[in-house]
Amino acid sequence: MSKELIRLADCVMAFDDEVVLDKINLSIRDKEFLTLLGPSGCGKTTTLRIIGGFQTPTSGDVLFDGVRINAVPPHKRTINTVFQKYALFPHLNVYENIAFGLRIPKTDGKGNRVKLPEEEIDQRVMEMLEIVNLKGFEKRRTTQLSGGQQQRVAIARALVNRPKVLLLDEPLGALDLKLRKDMQNELKRIQKAMEITFVYVTHDQEEALAMSDTVVVMDAGRIQQIGSPEDIYNEPQNAFVADFIGESNIIDGIMRADGVVEIFNRRFQCLDGGFDRDEAVDVVIRPEDVDIVPEDQGQLKGTVTSVTFKGMQYDIIVDFYGFKWLIQTTDLSPVGSRIGIKIDPDGIHVMKKSEYSGMFGDYSSYSEEYEEISDASLDPEEEDSGDEE
Amino acid sequence: MKKQNRLGSRLLIGLMFLFLYAPILLLIVFSFNAGDSSAVWKGFSLHWYARLFQNRLIMESVYTTLLVSLLATAIATVAGTFAAIGLYSLGRKRREALLMVNNIPMMNADIVTGVSLCLFFVAFFQGWGSFARWFNSVQGVVELPDRLVLGFSTLLLAHVAFNIPYVILNVAPKLRQMDRNLMDAAQDLGCTWMRAFWQVMLPEIKPGIVSGALIAFTMSIDDFIISYFTAGSASSTLAMTIYGMTKKRVTPEINAVSTLLFLSVLVLLVLSNLKEVRAEARERLGAARKPSALERARLKFAEPRFKWVRRGTAGVLACAFIFTVAALAHATGSRPVVNVCSWGEYIDEDLITQFEEETGIRVNYQTAESNEALYSLLKSGGADYDVVVPSDYMIGRLIAEDMLEPLDYSQIPNFDLIDQRFRNLSYDPDNLYTVPYTWGTLGIIYNTAMVEEEITSWSALYDGKYAGNVLLINNSRDAIGEALLYLGYSVNTTDEAEIREAYELVADANRRGVFQGRVMDEVFQKMEGGNAAIATYYAGDYLSMLENNEDLAFVIPEEGSNWFVDAMCMLKDAPHQREAHMWINFIASTQANLANMDYIWYASPNREALERYPAYYEELYGEELDPELYEIMAAPAETLERCEAYLNLPAKTLSLYNTLWTQLGTD
Repeated sequence: MSKELIRLADCVMAFDDEVVLDKINLSIRDKEFLTLLGPSGCGKTTTLRIIGGFQTPTSGDVLFDGVRINAVPPHKRTINTVFQKYALFPHLNVYENIAFGLRIPKTDGKGNRVKLPEEEIDQRVMEMLEIVNLKGFEKRRTTQLSGGQQQRVAIARALVNRPKVLLLDEPLGALDLKLRKDMQNELKRIQKAMEITFVYVTHDQEEALAMSDTVVVMDAGRIQQIGSPEDIYNEPQNAFVADFIGESNIIDGIMRADGVVEIFNRRFQCLDGGFDRDEAVDVVIRPEDVDIVPEDQGQLKGTVTSVTFKGMQYDIIVDFYGFKWLIQTTDLSPVGSRIGIKIDPDGIHVMKKSEYSGMFGDYSSYSEEYEEISDASLDPEEEDSGDEE
Repeated sequence: MKKQNRLGSRLLIGLMFLFLYAPILLLIVFSFNAGDSSAVWKGFSLHWYARLFQNRLIMESVYTTLLVSLLATAIATVAGTFAAIGLYSLGRKRREALLMVNNIPMMNADIVTGVSLCLFFVAFFQGWGSFARWFNSVQGVVELPDRLVLGFSTLLLAHVAFNIPYVILNVAPKLRQMDRNLMDAAQDLGCTWMRAFWQVMLPEIKPGIVSGALIAFTMSIDDFIISYFTAGSASSTLAMTIYGMTKKRVTPEINAVSTLLFLSVLVLLVLSNLKEVRAEARERLGAARKPSALERARLKFAEPRFKWVRRGTAGVLACAFIFTVAALAHATGSRPVVNVCSWGEYIDEDLITQFEEETGIRVNYQTAESNEALYSLLKSGGADYDVVVPSDYMIGRLIAEDMLEPLDYSQIPNFDLIDQRFRNLSYDPDNLYTVPYTWGTLGIIYNTAMVEEEITSWSALYDGKYAGNVLLINNSRDAIGEALLYLGYSVNTTDEAEIREAYELVADANRRGVFQGRVMDEVFQKMEGGNAAIATYYAGDYLSMLENNEDLAFVIPEEGSNWFVDAMCMLKDAPHQREAHMWINFIASTQANLANMDYIWYASPNREALERYPAYYEELYGEELDPELYEIMAAPAETLERCEAYLNLPAKTLSLYNTLWTQLGTD
């Protein structure tokens, strides 16, 4: 594993009396693709702005390569940012937007102000245009570009400065679904090619899982879980993570012994252990981990109350003793039919009770919740309310 | 049906625009009038425009106006822009509260802004005076000036103050439209805040800054009320000068200068609108349009390799500007100066030039609007005039209140030329403070085309024979004085019953609808244009009216009338006493009195000038001066015997006058 590049230690951010970040501890390794994932207002953009230097934490330290950089202004950090709405300079054309950072005189080791020669600027800009597939667009005005093209100009403008870290604040939020998929691959490719660290902010869990080396799930100003996409999905640490990442049924359970959890008064085999005897726990069961069997063979028995065709599978809602589950299956079970289910031990994840317990799980409120979470157009968090337009 | 409607609405729009623009069109048309009336067209001429550029009072005020507007605009634009940026870095609540505060001065009545600024400056000067005197007394190294007065600097400060809100108001929307991340992005790419401001924010908000500056400039050029209260005695803006000139009448010269002012504001507005339209068009067309030759040149100039050329040009321009301002300040600062305050159109301006050439002293010539206005200006302490020219009764009041400095008559040899009749008058019985400037009489002016008989008595004002065609003079002293004379009382009576009786006479006629209106300066247009039959005004002004309407006649009624003297005096502690004496002596000379008499048609108190004027006139115009006119201008001794001068009345009587006069409006 590569070495640590950035560390946030006990970072607190408070505006007036409102705590936006509550003791964040985070380590970002060199050349990794790290994603800050969470719903609006979770503090992910604030975390990004602290790394970029646009905000100074109320307390705590920001370390870069082991050096404290709390007070270093943005223009002195070897970090560049791709902003949410691109923030391209409207009065400059594509070429000048990308060349912007290169034209600024830098201070060299001896304290002299040095400017890059025009040939080098030109060479580097052209190189970047090639990387982001925008050759021939140099003289265009940025207002004449499509959203995806503007996005790539913004990336080129940041990368041309050869930063050690690139911060991306919901960079794909304004693009349509297909373009977003393309750009995800594009970004991943660029990150590999340039060999730099990406810190990526999004509220889209699919995007986070698809692109990241490390995912940091945040909510309410706190980090809920840090891990690889697989860890996050398969071993959520609490009900919030389980619910936010993918679809899940979260059920109250009691740990009767290591490897034995009781749900609806029935005992199930599981792989988890290390809990107190008879400890109340949250149990996560992913919709795709449930097998549908004839009613008499089922560990649990219920009634199908709703069926939605999703292309690859059906989403069905099943009522078990008044508690509604979401199950994904390729076999159609018509509404009103009685079914049984079986769950393999590796399909059952046991979590400690947390403040999020009881907030998610019952799909009787399925429709609202489902839509809210999958709504990509949800306004991302903003410190200043978005009344400006 | 529909078509008819459209016709109707077009007609309505046409009428609306006519209503809006007819007065301005009229003014523009009459600025080309060959005659000097604003009511009678006498053919096309550019005469008044030529006159305009020779009028030093106007040219000086144009210079002051431009300088103060440009400087105030520059300062306010910079300050307002940064203030707007500061506002936008605040939270929404505080920003909105502050923007509210910013809007208040724009909606506030100008008069309140003006008066409060004036009070503020005067209060500050007093505080500063005490501090400077104390400071000078405890150390001898630095000598601070202890007497500050209103002048160019306070005028500039006031203009900056009222311009800033307009700049903020124009810059704020541009900031609101700007993506807030732009500044972050620029800093992220390596800019310091200042560099990001120049390279990113400025191009974004430039349209707002330009339109803010244009509006501020227009406001500055336009402003009258605030300037009036903050300019003090030493400077006068164009609007103030025009106002001073209208005290007498709206001359075609004023029409000409107003036309030019209107056109320049129009050009500014068109320019700022064109800029926006072009910017929008460019946005729409985008790169599809090829840049014009001018734009190509501009783009080339904007290339980095021309940076030093650009910087050099800007530097040279800035230096030139600073140098010019400094040179001007030096030139005006080091020359001896005398501050004179008189009435509008009350001097032959060639005399000022002549005095300046002879003595090297700069004359700062300002005008006040009435004796009462002058009095309050002096009382407020905001003015630092050396010489003022009030009327007799006001001089009495100024002496009584110890506001005048005794004159050193050894420095005014020309005082010997003043006729004995005009020395030691009741307002200055020992003649310690004054040198008379002009004198004249009040009388009835009537239009012989509208009035058959010969008028001989003040009764013509009250008997109702010309009901609806009589103009009452809008000045309590004269209006009630006329009634007192008609009733056979003294114009200086302090008997309340007599004054009330006189007032009742006027009020009764007013109730019966005898008076068409109460006027001062409108009397010129009304009488010249034949819109009223009878009015009362001053002899000298009658002679001016006669030039435009030969049917007018003037009479001093048999009951007698008022005769008045306007005299030059020096204010207490005047800063330029030597120069003031030189000016008074110069104006008292026979030559100056002749020139003034010819220019303003008021009689001179200089014995020689008065006697020689008919000959002077003949020499100048090649024709004999009508002796009747001369008699009207300089009333002969037997007429003067029937006339009475106004004395300063006791406070109690003055307040009775005020009360009655206010009552007349509501009676």
